[in-house]
Amino acid sequence: MLPRQRLLTFIALACGVLFLLPVLWSIWMSFQTANAYYTGGFEFTFDNYARAIGQYNFAQYLLNSIIVSGLVTLVGLIVATMAAFAFARFSFPGNDLLFGLTVATLMIPSHISLIPNYLTLANAGLLDTYAGLILPAISNGFAAFFLRQYMRGIPKALDEAAYMDGARPLQVLWRVIVPISKPAIMSMGLYIFITEWNSYIWPLVAVSEQDLYTLQLGLSRLYRINPGEGAIDWPLVMAASAISMLPVIVGFVIVEKHLVRGMTSGAVK
Amino acid sequence: MLRKLTPYLLVAPMIGFIAVFTYIPILTSLDLSFHDWDFLSSHRPFVGFKNYELILNSHEFWNALRVTAIFTAISVPLRLALALIIASFLVRETAAARILRGAFFLPAVTSTVSIAVVFSWVFSTDYGMANNLLQSVGLAKVQWLQTPWLALAALIVVNTWKQLGYDIIIYIAALQAVPSELYDAAAVDGGKKLHVFRRVTFPLVMPTTYFLLVVSVIEAFQIFTIVDVMTNGGPAGGTTMLVTLLYRIGFNLFDIGQGSALAVMLFVLLVILAFVKSKILGQKVHYAS
Repeated sequence: MLPRQRLLTFIALACGVLFLLPVLWSIWMSFQTANAYYTGGFEFTFDNYARAIGQYNFAQYLLNSIIVSGLVTLVGLIVATMAAFAFARFSFPGNDLLFGLTVATLMIPSHISLIPNYLTLANAGLLDTYAGLILPAISNGFAAFFLRQYMRGIPKALDEAAYMDGARPLQVLWRVIVPISKPAIMSMGLYIFITEWNSYIWPLVAVSEQDLYTLQLGLSRLYRINPGEGAIDWPLVMAASAISMLPVIVGFVIVEKHLVRGMTSGAVK
Repeated sequence: MLRKLTPYLLVAPMIGFIAVFTYIPILTSLDLSFHDWDFLSSHRPFVGFKNYELILNSHEFWNALRVTAIFTAISVPLRLALALIIASFLVRETAAARILRGAFFLPAVTSTVSIAVVFSWVFSTDYGMANNLLQSVGLAKVQWLQTPWLALAALIVVNTWKQLGYDIIIYIAALQAVPSELYDAAAVDGGKKLHVFRRVTFPLVMPTTYFLLVVSVIEAFQIFTIVDVMTNGGPAGGTTMLVTLLYRIGFNLFDIGQGSALAVMLFVLLVILAFVKSKILGQKVHYAS
């Protein structure tokens, strides 16, 4: 490498570290005792994680987040894939209209549904349940749109051949379209999972039972109640914060390419 | 017969969910906005436009609109300008550029609550990173989140930090689509870098800029999480955004009528913006193909 280029790489890395410094520092802080933190020293400990998980229920919140985000992703993908298949491969009266209604949800700000959805779930007795957290998040117009575009690029001859062999539509979807669409479905799955993992306002509205808190809700509550004596116990709060962001960060590092593709596809052709 | 029904059965779950949780709620909100209701009482009198009048005559609404507008007017141009500059450095496929892209993009996928909590620490008065920095260069501590305009500035910084990576990725994709012959031609003509940027790059990413502009404005008008965690709308209403106010009216005061009226107003505003976006997006797809 030329010296100039090596210098540029070094500067770039320094910029990256500087940019992420608040988060990196907060993770560093989460391994330190409160005493050492407030007196300016450093003492390594896992105690903050142990307390967050044991005393402050973060194991339960983690489980809740995994259940809710996992189910929203799984069911959301099934619903979107089926709809995308119909929109991409069948010509039927109402195709354009129903597809239009699906895509239009992208333009609709979700806050209009906040109060009505709260009432709907209250009437159905679903507040403070997993179902209440999950159901309003299932439909994903963007995933349906994205998968339909992708499926339209698959040669029609493939499914025609399968139909000739006597396959049924669901078999064609499962055996022909889904395997080919795997990269697109993966991208959308990641996108849905991360969005749901990080969602805050809906759990805030739909849940008051502590045992049903998601990580985001649990973290904001932990931060608000100031578990220290008067002052905030920052190392503890940072351990809780790390628990809530680390799974997504680790996942991100592994599958960054898929994710970027999913996120940019709506904006750049 | 079953053949004909197949597509309908396939789209039924999607349509069912969006009907129950998206389209019917719009109508419900509209209906609720014309009624006086506190969620608990059994009767729900029709009051016409009274809820809208109350909202429009309240100091809180105009304050929230003003705060949201200031937040939007500063954070959106800041994000776009920074993103375009950084993207033009990171467009090349070097190892350093790839790592930096990852670093910038990471906050966009990280939990907003975590970020808000981390930055609450950064801007905390006694042990925060910002004040430590100020003190290390001999300046006095600042009450970041206890001073209205500084709290708003802090929220703008945090939101920019979080969203910047997304804008950068979009800009990089747009810059990569610029045909390299254009740069070659400009280079042959002896164009200086800044000149090439202004005359070639900038006009070519203009559609992307429009797109990001509208998307970010829509997003900025819906900001809630960072505010709720970091300042809870305070101090003295200095960071009360429209959605913060909506949440407070609807779920703290349980004034369903007024909450719905505010939701409908926000909805109309954002749908107009979203319509503009779809026009731009339509144009852009045409431009790219």
